[in-house]
Amino acid sequence: MATAPVVETKALTKRYGEFTALEALSISVDAGQILGFIGPNGAGKTTTIRILVGLLRPTEGSATIAGADCVRQARQIKRLVGYMPDIFGSYDNMRVTEYLDFFGAAYGMGRRQRVQRIAEVLETTGAAYMKDLFVESLSHGMKQRIGIARTLLHDPQVLILDEPANGLDPQARIDMRGLLLQLASMGKTLIVTSHILPELSRICDTVAIITHGKLRAFGTQAEIMRQITQRRTFEVQLVEREQLKSAQSLVAAALGSEADANISGSETEGLVRFDSNLSDRELAGILAGLLDKGVSVSQFREIPTDLEDAFLSVTSRDNDTSSNASPTEAGTASAQEPA
Amino acid sequence: MNNPVIQRECFGILRTRKALAMLIVMSVAFSLIVLLRWPTDGRVDLSGMRSQQVFRVFAYTLLAGVLFVVPAFPAVSIIQEKNNGTLALLLNSPLTGATIFAGKLIASLLFALLLLLTSLPAAAACYAMGGIDLHSQLGLLYVVLLTCVVQYTTLALLVSTYVQSTDAAVRMTYAAVFAFGILGTGPYYLLQGQAGTLPLVAWWLQAASPLTIIMDLVGHGDVGSLALLTEDSTLAEYLLLSAVSSLAFIMLTVSRLNHRLFDRARSKGTITDDRQILARGFRRLFFLVDPQRRKSGIPFYANPVMVKEFRTRKFGRIHWLLRLVAGCAVLSLLLTLAATTGVVDWGVRTIGGFMVLLQIVLVVLITPSLAAGLISAERESGGWDLLRMTPMSPLRIVRGKLLSVVWTVGLILLATVPGYVVMIYIQPAMWLQVYRVMICLALAAVYTVCIAAAVGSLFQRTATATTTCYIALIVLFLGPLLIWMGRDAPFSHDTVEAALSINPTGAALSIIQAPGFEIYELAPGAWWVSGIISLVALAGLGCQVWRISRPV
Repeated sequence: MATAPVVETKALTKRYGEFTALEALSISVDAGQILGFIGPNGAGKTTTIRILVGLLRPTEGSATIAGADCVRQARQIKRLVGYMPDIFGSYDNMRVTEYLDFFGAAYGMGRRQRVQRIAEVLETTGAAYMKDLFVESLSHGMKQRIGIARTLLHDPQVLILDEPANGLDPQARIDMRGLLLQLASMGKTLIVTSHILPELSRICDTVAIITHGKLRAFGTQAEIMRQITQRRTFEVQLVEREQLKSAQSLVAAALGSEADANISGSETEGLVRFDSNLSDRELAGILAGLLDKGVSVSQFREIPTDLEDAFLSVTSRDNDTSSNASPTEAGTASAQEPA
Repeated sequence: MNNPVIQRECFGILRTRKALAMLIVMSVAFSLIVLLRWPTDGRVDLSGMRSQQVFRVFAYTLLAGVLFVVPAFPAVSIIQEKNNGTLALLLNSPLTGATIFAGKLIASLLFALLLLLTSLPAAAACYAMGGIDLHSQLGLLYVVLLTCVVQYTTLALLVSTYVQSTDAAVRMTYAAVFAFGILGTGPYYLLQGQAGTLPLVAWWLQAASPLTIIMDLVGHGDVGSLALLTEDSTLAEYLLLSAVSSLAFIMLTVSRLNHRLFDRARSKGTITDDRQILARGFRRLFFLVDPQRRKSGIPFYANPVMVKEFRTRKFGRIHWLLRLVAGCAVLSLLLTLAATTGVVDWGVRTIGGFMVLLQIVLVVLITPSLAAGLISAERESGGWDLLRMTPMSPLRIVRGKLLSVVWTVGLILLATVPGYVVMIYIQPAMWLQVYRVMICLALAAVYTVCIAAAVGSLFQRTATATTTCYIALIVLFLGPLLIWMGRDAPFSHDTVEAALSINPTGAALSIIQAPGFEIYELAPGAWWVSGIISLVALAGLGCQVWRISRPV
């Protein structure tokens, strides 16, 4: 039985006068999922997040979290969501426990409950040893942990984290990744924005790519790859380099009708590379043809594309559209793209 | 001169709206002073009385401008660069600490010069009215002010190397300027005419203040002096002390402008509870309220924002306030005892007036530091969004913040209560006066808190909020006193009375019948005016908080 999505936006739009920061964004995230929200600077990620947490009001469209409307039920949203902005928001002269105690009290938690909950969230985030330190003296990585601990205090259903891995060292990044997966395993729904795409690709169930305020791609990573990279790249590793020319011409003949096959060869590596949108069965035919003509093939493989390639593909396409068309035309063109 | 810092600093200062506002306000203020007393009939005032009156107000306004406007930019100059990370870049370049300092000093001085230039048309008009000597009065005024500008700019730059935040820089600079420029004259008025080391030190302290020289220049040299006590001008001493102190400030600042400025370890966060019993006992005795003690959770009945404010503020933490209040209480007790037992021949009224002023000065100096950053500090640090994300309503947030200031200011108000109690004990007939004065002081506190919180909430940066609050409150509190100094000439009785009604200080002074204030009937009119202004400020604060809290 399909469950209702925990986070859902429908045609969410935000305009500032003439400028459109967000245009008709429609996404949904199921319970326990991690949504990676990707986009270049100024793409509209933070605007979306701020609408979701009730800090901004959309010009059009709607957003709901666990059924609560982000505009009309803002008070309810505050209890449902834990939000960690990209700015930590620390206070001077405050120790970690005092800092968390303050936010616990702000959420209306009782004294005993706060003591227990603070211990729990510090344990979960691996920050228990920081409890007596001054918040302003913490390193960036430590602050990020405390920031997550703060978002967890009132046990929200949804966690929205703006750039949690930003500025972290490699070890802290690995720890952060583990922590986010742990939170997802606890049943929390996470929306995470990041510029560090390899990090996101390892933890996200769903990805949304946004540029210039418009959603360019949305779905699981595999779906995104299919949407973005309709042409796949293949490599044929030859045993004998001398057969490179004949292998290239055989592949070209087999691809015949495909205009953008980009067939290339590397004599030093004994490698033929080409792009194709043929099905796996048709590709098997190409391989069989090569072998029939006596070409010795040691490997026939697809070059995997990752989230970074997908993102670059979307942003470069978007840049091309923006530079070739007026803003209105670009908007129309992109609206026709699959989302 | 090939110093890139000068150009950058100059542009940096001149491009701010704050600089533009300062220039406009100063120009308008000076023009108004002259316009007020410009002759409207065909007769010439040969005595020069009218221009002397204008010159008096003009000189005091100019001094107030120099004291409180000029240090605003240099005060944040170094700390802002340090916190933004650009000071590290500058120190990493081939520029020396001295070059960086010179750039900042020259740029600040150029802006101060620009401010002084805005007063020149008014000065010229003042001179044209006749009766003002170009060299011994007008020229000397500008010499003193220029010296003052150099001294306080270098002082502000020095302060900027010691503090850790821009708002602390503004606070500390104003406190230092106030101590040097105004407070320094206090001990001399208490000890004048006596022999010994202490009176000598007091004399040098007052000689270091530009206020003494300006008072001499405008013919107020005898204000506060004992009869038959005529003093020669302290101009030479002032110039000497200014030069020596400016040089010392420059040398100290340059010596601090190096990598050591960044050589600061992170706090280990030691907790008193984890120390040995002896250390714990000593700290309890020393601090009264130990800031390093592990805090218990926020009780259910307390507003969490109020508790947070008490715990997080760097300035005005409870252990310092307790010491300040204790010090003031002792001072007020001593003053009252001295007056009532005849140790000094001042009379209860003078002492009462002094206590009122002491109280008002404390409130006006401390409140902006506490209230100006209530909203702006949250907005600057990103904490405002976090607070908005909690289920607390904006009203509860603001109430908590205001309460944290009100409690503190209430504590400050208690500082002079022992003095008044002694006053009533010795002269029971004064109870009604003291009671009414206490109402004035309480109103003054509310008035200051409301205005500081409202003005501060308009800005996104705490340093700007603090500076503007100080300037606004100084104008509101010092302005009427400046007008009072020109009572009957150039200002009429009604004008002075109206001006004094703007805040409750005049009412308090008139109730206690301090010399010069007996003739004014200010209460309860001033109470109403203060109450209405406070309510308007509170409404303004409410509107601003609503504006920044709502999702747009």
